Amino acid sequence: MSAGVARADGGRPPGSRIAVAAPLWVLLPALVLVPLALLLPGLSHGGGWSLVGQFALAALRPSLDPLVLSSALRGLGVTVGMALLGWALSLVLGLMLGALSSRLVWRQCSGRLWPAELIRRLLALPRSIHELLWGLILLQLVGLQPAVAVLAIAIPFGALVARVVSDQLDALPTGSLEALRSGGVAAPAALLTALGPPLLPQVLSYGGYRLECALRSATLLGVFGLGGLGTELRLTLQSLLFNELWTGLWLLLAAMLLLERLVGWLRRRWTMPARLSLSPQAPAPNRHAAVNGNTSGVGRGGRELVLAVALLVPVLVAVAWNLEVDPRSLLRWQPLPPLPPADWGAVAALPWPTLVANTLSLTLLAAALAVGVAPLLLLLVRPWPLGRAAVQGLWALGRLWPPPLIALLLLFVLQPGVVTGALALALHNLGVLGRLLLESAEHRGETTEQALLSAGSGPRLALLYGRFSALARPYLAYGAYRGDVILRESVVVGLVGATGLGSQLLEALSSFAVDELAALMVVYAALTLLGEDLSDRLRRRLLAG
Amino acid sequence: MTTRERWAVALAGLLLIGLLPTACTPRTDGNAGADGATSEAARPNEKRVLRIGAIPDQNPEKLNRLYGLVADELSEQLEVPVRFVPVTDYTAAVSAFRTGDLDLVWFGGLTGVQAWLQKPGARALAQRDIDRSFHSVFIANPRSGLKPFEDQSGLQQLKGKRFTFGSESSTSGRLMPQYYLTQAGVALSDFAGGNPGFSGSHDALIALVQSGTYDAGVVNEEVWLSRLREGKVDTDQVVAIWRTPGYANYTWVVQPNLDEEYGRGFTERLEQAFTSLSPDNPRQAQILELFGAETFVPASNEQYEAIEAVGRQIGKIR
Amino acid sequence: MDPAAVLELEGIHVRGRGQPRLEGVSLRLRAGERVALLGPSGAGKSTLLAVANGLIAPDRGSLRWQGQERARRPRARRRQQRRIGTLWQDLRLIEELSVQQNLNAGRLAHWGWPRALLNLLLPLESDACAATLRRLDLDPALLDQPVSALSGGQRQRVALGRLLRQEPMLLLADEPLASLDPRLAGELLALLLAEGRAPRALLLSLHRPDLLAGFDRVVGLRTGRVQFDLPVGAVNPGLLAALYAGEAP
Repeated sequence: MSAGVARADGGRPPGSRIAVAAPLWVLLPALVLVPLALLLPGLSHGGGWSLVGQFALAALRPSLDPLVLSSALRGLGVTVGMALLGWALSLVLGLMLGALSSRLVWRQCSGRLWPAELIRRLLALPRSIHELLWGLILLQLVGLQPAVAVLAIAIPFGALVARVVSDQLDALPTGSLEALRSGGVAAPAALLTALGPPLLPQVLSYGGYRLECALRSATLLGVFGLGGLGTELRLTLQSLLFNELWTGLWLLLAAMLLLERLVGWLRRRWTMPARLSLSPQAPAPNRHAAVNGNTSGVGRGGRELVLAVALLVPVLVAVAWNLEVDPRSLLRWQPLPPLPPADWGAVAALPWPTLVANTLSLTLLAAALAVGVAPLLLLLVRPWPLGRAAVQGLWALGRLWPPPLIALLLLFVLQPGVVTGALALALHNLGVLGRLLLESAEHRGETTEQALLSAGSGPRLALLYGRFSALARPYLAYGAYRGDVILRESVVVGLVGATGLGSQLLEALSSFAVDELAALMVVYAALTLLGEDLSDRLRRRLLAG
Repeated sequence: MTTRERWAVALAGLLLIGLLPTACTPRTDGNAGADGATSEAARPNEKRVLRIGAIPDQNPEKLNRLYGLVADELSEQLEVPVRFVPVTDYTAAVSAFRTGDLDLVWFGGLTGVQAWLQKPGARALAQRDIDRSFHSVFIANPRSGLKPFEDQSGLQQLKGKRFTFGSESSTSGRLMPQYYLTQAGVALSDFAGGNPGFSGSHDALIALVQSGTYDAGVVNEEVWLSRLREGKVDTDQVVAIWRTPGYANYTWVVQPNLDEEYGRGFTERLEQAFTSLSPDNPRQAQILELFGAETFVPASNEQYEAIEAVGRQIGKIR
Repeated sequence: MDPAAVLELEGIHVRGRGQPRLEGVSLRLRAGERVALLGPSGAGKSTLLAVANGLIAPDRGSLRWQGQERARRPRARRRQQRRIGTLWQDLRLIEELSVQQNLNAGRLAHWGWPRALLNLLLPLESDACAATLRRLDLDPALLDQPVSALSGGQRQRVALGRLLRQEPMLLLADEPLASLDPRLAGELLALLLAEGRAPRALLLSLHRPDLLAGFDRVVGLRTGRVQFDLPVGAVNPGLLAALYAGEAP
């Protein structure tokens, strides 16, 4: 990415240098639509559209059969329960591990820094492996039980939360902490007193966002047989029972929107920062705190928070009880199957370069599509309030659908392969990114857009010049993060075949080829760690510039 | 507050955080025996729930109905609580069997072999009359130009066509068809796009070929015939082009330790419960009908040696 | 209807939460008239300006720009709004873009998509932009600078430059002097008064009643109503005291 504007240097005549200005950055990734438009006709078969039509029509007539309804409701209950438990556990894990991997905490408590670095690096590993893979590994180790899904969500999410918490901790101003310490207060108490309050809103905001992620993950795990509504969604889709499929989808949509509303409402009520400003490198001004006055907000929010936690604990216990989650059963490891001697020759003979290249192109294509198309769509429907509602609906459905199900649906009209997989991932992530874009567009560049409108600019140009300028950096920084997420997620569309490491992994799994599985996981993890590092650098550059 | 007190407060806070996960999880001592979710911990003198499962090769509503009936029937005949545990994924079903979370599973040929290779001592218990010699049917969309043929070498026509299997671990939708394709000299890379697709299920496969998404595919003959009977197939859009030779397929596979758990002779009584299913009893008749079977017959692991060999050959069994 | 009127407001009413934000406001600006809008905070000055530049549709009353009724259709109204330039108190410059691109933002209403997009790659109309800067006593070498790199005074002028690039008939300014030191405020006001000569008209809101000397008329606004509309010479301390009654000086 080049610098935003050409700088005047020396006697160069003004305006003589080509540079891509900020508003265009946001739209550049959408250029990927051009090659895609050329590729798609070759990949599609017209015949499947009637199936897609049936699927779409069935949305209007979901099955209301009491049997279907009750089974979907039960499935939804399990999915939400697994999400809730996994999320709660991940927060607890994340807070503890986050404190343990914070340089600040170690400096204050022991004066040594290396343990923080060590723990931080170790935590990269659980983070680099997608929750689906955790789920499938745990399934092999401890058997099919609800606790597997809960733990599969809690492990990678916990490591993610830990990273955010430690980053936040280390980025907090240390003035009040030093004041306390110089007043003779012991390290742990001083840390809690000085850093707890400023950390809390950040953690809560991020925690709320993780809860939404957990619901999506729990649905996805279900698609792969770990229980809940996802199971029914996949089976009904594969049996082409679209009316029954929509029963589950509508219920899930209702649950998701309800959860998002609740999280958003609590975020506003407890005056927490919005998500896009959540970056330790460049903390954006806290709009709400500025409006409401931080202190009063924290006081009221604080009491309600304690109340909410106090309410949450019995709810969690009840959920765990109902789902028959038994942590002790996690300790009863199952004997591994008799393993044939590993055949490393065969493993080495896998087409590794192709697998890696396919995975990377899948990721890039999906990321570019998701990042670029969201602002493009927003721009297109700007003048029409109805169009905007339609786009929002499309995004909600995209978020709702686990990518493997989107991929299966796309298979009705497209050939299996990288492009189909990428489209599925892109549609899902478009839903996530689009909502974020809308949310943050509400807070940035509003007045500039108004100024342009009042001068008679068209609504689209006013949006492009007025808002997208200010949004470009934070949005693309988030897009870089999303790219990292997509790389990790690319395993889940392995279902549609020939998508690189993901499909090879699922194939190895169904053949119980442990040697191949291990090698693939190592390569996958290495790739994700590399991707995470790259995306971090890109993000820092964007936010610093 | 003295320093010591502050330490104590901080420690108490940390402890609270640490205890949270333990507090969130229920003590299941009271209900473990009753619901059987935590099987391995069951006490010997309590009646443990027998958990049955099935690979998901049918629509979920039918699976629930069918195996609900089976659970009721077995529970009545054997006088133990029986529960059907749905699993979405072939692989997950095998794993759940290996880890002991399922006691009795209706497997396909390949998954059955995978199951008893992973759990030594497990064995094939009973199967339908039709499973001794099961067939797959290659189907095609007429617009692809593919025509029915008699000889296996006709599979050569599929080269360069868009072709899809069913589920990755399906015996009738993938394993045996792939074996016959290889025998006829068709490699997976010979299909259009360099790869076959995996539709995920037999029903989806028929729809995909019928819609023209794929030129051809291969499907479980039993499903094919029943969809034809139900009139769910548009015979102008999709036709059968070749029927494979017979091979052994579906079977109930049972854990090796049930006699210890439920008493001597239990596995045998289980087998009899299936082989004695009769169309004279209304519920049993319903089960047989949903299974598409006349009767159930005893099965043995040896019938599946050919499947195992093919599985090893194409890498689905290591 | 007055053929020479650039802006005509008659009986403008804008609802608010509780009490109305504007209540029966009538106001006429003829070409060459430079009018100061005075009033305490909350009097409705910003609302009046937002009505005048078309951002807010009045709930009642009629609004004419150069004799034309405010258009209902967005496209037609945008054509009317092209000729209305607003200088905002917070400037509302596009921080991420260069001075030239910001100046050209004033042309957006005249440009189609191709030029608007091209301007983001290779800033257009360098000569016109340089001329605008010179007119505002700025160095044309600034054109390539990002606006975020400019000083406060330079930014004020660039914002004014964007407005001039619109070639407006009506200049509106919402408390443009509020956050400026006296010297800068004086310079900016002089520029605005000079640009507001015929055939244009200028309507400028002020919080405090100083710097009124260069204006032709003064309109006093309080709780959404016009208290007085007089030539600048007729405004006396008594009127001003009544206008600001209740607000700490």
